[in-house]
Amino acid sequence: MSTNQYIVRDIPRRKFLEMSLKGGLVLAASSPLLSQFLTSCSTGSTSVPGLGIDKAIIDKVIAAALSKGGDYADVYIENRASRQIVMEESKFKSGLYGISQGAGVRVISGNKTGYAYTEEITEANLLRAAEVASYVAKNGKITTPVNVSDTKRLSFITVKQPLGDIDDAKRIEIMKRADQAAMDYDKRIKMAMINYYDEVRGRVVANSEGVYLQDELPMMFFIVQTMSDDGKARHMSRERLSKHMGFEMFDEFTPEMVAKRAAREAIAMLDAQDAPAGIMDVVMQNGWGGVLVHEAVGHPLEADNIAKKIGAFTGKVGQKVASDVFTMVDDGTIPNARGTINFDDEGTQTKRNVLIENGILKGYMNDILSAKQLGNERTGNGRRESYQYIPIPRMTNTFIEKGSSDPGDILSSTQKGIYVQSLSGGSVNPVTGVFNFTCREAYLIENGKKTTPIKGATLIGSCLQVISNIDAVGNDLDFGPGICGKGQNAEVDAGMPTVRIRGINVGGSRV
Amino acid sequence: MDYIKLLNSLVSKAKDFGADAAEIYLETGRNLSIQVQDGEVETIEESYSAGVGFRVIVEGKMGFSHCNQLTDDALEDTFKRAVTFAKLTTADPNNVLPDNKEITQVEGLYDGELVKITMEKKIKMAIDLEKLAMKDPRITKSSGAGYGEGQGEVYIASTNGFLKVYKTSGCSIGVNVVAEKGEQKNTGGEFCSRRYFADLKPLAEIAEKASKKAWELLDPIMIPTQRAAVIFDPDVASSIFGGVIGALNGERVLQGASFLKDYLDKPFASPLLTIIDDGTRAKGMGSTPFDGEGFPTKRRVLVEQGVVKGFIYNSIVAKRAGTVSTGNASRRGFTSLPGIGTHNVIIQSGQHTPEDIIKSTSKGLLLKEVTGYGIDSVTGNFSGGATGFWIENGKIKHPVQGVTIAGNAFDILRDIDMMGNDLDLNKGLAAPTFRVKEMMIGGK
Repeated sequence: MSTNQYIVRDIPRRKFLEMSLKGGLVLAASSPLLSQFLTSCSTGSTSVPGLGIDKAIIDKVIAAALSKGGDYADVYIENRASRQIVMEESKFKSGLYGISQGAGVRVISGNKTGYAYTEEITEANLLRAAEVASYVAKNGKITTPVNVSDTKRLSFITVKQPLGDIDDAKRIEIMKRADQAAMDYDKRIKMAMINYYDEVRGRVVANSEGVYLQDELPMMFFIVQTMSDDGKARHMSRERLSKHMGFEMFDEFTPEMVAKRAAREAIAMLDAQDAPAGIMDVVMQNGWGGVLVHEAVGHPLEADNIAKKIGAFTGKVGQKVASDVFTMVDDGTIPNARGTINFDDEGTQTKRNVLIENGILKGYMNDILSAKQLGNERTGNGRRESYQYIPIPRMTNTFIEKGSSDPGDILSSTQKGIYVQSLSGGSVNPVTGVFNFTCREAYLIENGKKTTPIKGATLIGSCLQVISNIDAVGNDLDFGPGICGKGQNAEVDAGMPTVRIRGINVGGSRV
Repeated sequence: MDYIKLLNSLVSKAKDFGADAAEIYLETGRNLSIQVQDGEVETIEESYSAGVGFRVIVEGKMGFSHCNQLTDDALEDTFKRAVTFAKLTTADPNNVLPDNKEITQVEGLYDGELVKITMEKKIKMAIDLEKLAMKDPRITKSSGAGYGEGQGEVYIASTNGFLKVYKTSGCSIGVNVVAEKGEQKNTGGEFCSRRYFADLKPLAEIAEKASKKAWELLDPIMIPTQRAAVIFDPDVASSIFGGVIGALNGERVLQGASFLKDYLDKPFASPLLTIIDDGTRAKGMGSTPFDGEGFPTKRRVLVEQGVVKGFIYNSIVAKRAGTVSTGNASRRGFTSLPGIGTHNVIIQSGQHTPEDIIKSTSKGLLLKEVTGYGIDSVTGNFSGGATGFWIENGKIKHPVQGVTIAGNAFDILRDIDMMGNDLDLNKGLAAPTFRVKEMMIGGK
């Protein structure tokens, strides 16, 4: 059963919010599947333990997977080591260390996919997984697999200080510095919640086309939340930092910087007033606000729903779908970005894919299956949360390309409306294109100026309408990290310059 | 594998590894997922998994580690990692493991028949469900149907002298369809989850509900921005009560991060509102004999006639609050530390039929879908996107899409003035239809 709503969050949340069949099953048995994000954390070994399986065995498994028929088969082997440290109320509340490994075998036969995985990676278990996965290929056409051999792919991730070389004391130090900076910012900051996470994911991707790839992806995610309380109002703010890189991330972006940004928001929003309700103009600040087009335009441009002919953009390639100033890109090659993965989890090289150019729809984001179904070139968007999931079309780093307007001019030329400085996240129905977002920090615009802060309002609309109503795009492109949920999680960046959208419905509590 | 022997052996090594106290959580599971599209199988996924989480306390400091390799070497290494990691954290006298050795008897958590039903039958059910949901001529496309099932066992062993086990099963079937009319598109989905296969709702009933959700909101008419009554369908109750449950989390209350922090034994909502958390309901999808750290589950009244009767706790937070655990340690599998969460939340039903509630509404919005995060459990702020029907003079006039609703938790909860009698206990958050006297609605 496909998911009904695709959601994106700026921090990990429990997955039961998702309307997937899997999510609907609240079971002890399925809970490992529901828990990926908050838990794991990492060492950062330089080799990939447990992944050193003989290529001849992989050939045998792929041959077994295709023995009943089928067009394509692949083997995915993964090893993940992760670390998470949680600090709340200036105390180190818990430290979590996790290791997991597993391997999955997939068979594609026509439009059908069979998948099974094992956590004990032995030849016998892989052959059994191949047998289960081949169930869908009964009576399918016969394909002869190509023996696997080492394949070359470009890399966009460089590491100076491998996570495996970092003492835990250094991790603790970073957190202490963030806590100190947040608490020192203002006495109305009552608490900081700091979440440090790092992981190293080792992967092997091998398939019946002869591809064999092995690499290691380091990932860091640092979240500072602060709570302000002045006796009259409270606000929980948030600032995040995430990259596919080594510990040197904190040289460029200091923990103090992250903490101060969070604290600034918490204090600013203490004065928030009720938001007005109804349709109004919205100016969105550059950065994570790009999550709006991630949801509203990105998900509907993922090729799985297009192949099923149910997506909002089905059959619209070459047509004008947005205003002339609107260009949108998904780029899996931005150096060290959170959404960058070198090659996707099916082994396809990631690329810079222009989705919409000056308002004209150029193409979709696909995985191997949907590329074949639509007869399109592979875009490198086949991603998976872990060996427990099959790859599906997902975004990487998705953004509105920068325009020519000065951000200050965009604000000053807007008489009345809402200025959205940051969003928490939102969701979209990929079939209808109807989306919603919740503002975390927003202000009224009066006579071209940012004035009173307003309480977290929801913005709603439809994707086709919103991209036609963007009438100004700034020259200040920036990004923010997030977690995208589509039955399984993917780490993504969303970005945009400052933009103005005419006529969005704002969910306020006063006229 | 003899897990009991394995756990006993690991517990006996806790002291040698340097842990003053240790809890070992082991979980095994089998999952099957079938998805069909346009009458054909789209995906079949099957998996068996097992994993262990170690929670240790060393000189008052807590550490945690997990792994999914059950070899002696991997387990011992992971156990030791938890001890090493504990040393990084801050000592806290409240860091304790539960010592209650009891187990609550809960009936109907495991269906032994599930595995005996053939794959062919499960595939056919999903295909039949999709076909039934497509029967209505207003439905133009399917976005797929699916069947999923899982079985699992949970073991918790503790140096406090207990080893507890339970076994659960669950199955679920659902469908999503699309209704189109001219340029309009609308989706509708419905699913049913149960512990026992035989308890799944008839396919025709699920199909009809999914199909109706897709077509009933076609041809919407926009309404002006205004204040009016809002009726919440049971399907959207979580947009309101999810945040209330979050605000009853004992840890957030202690941290001052809850809009209900000052309301113990005080009224904050309409006297029509009573909220119960029941971890013991027979066949309940959220029921278990003990919680995520082995504490026996209970049935508790959290809010009674608009008054907060108690917050929810796990052992550590309860100790900090000077009370005892309420059996609300939640766990998202072997990879997570126990947090705090509910089991089966029930909003007590009232006297009115949903039809009565509509009939007595002179002007208002009947909500069928709410988007957004719901009530913010820190501030009580609420804002969401809304879809439903406009009501005038007690009658449904037309569908409404693309409006917003907003307010503050205290105003919304105080203004609940009608509670329905249509409670379906099988829902994860079971609530009847209810009405809020007046809320802000954002439209044209």
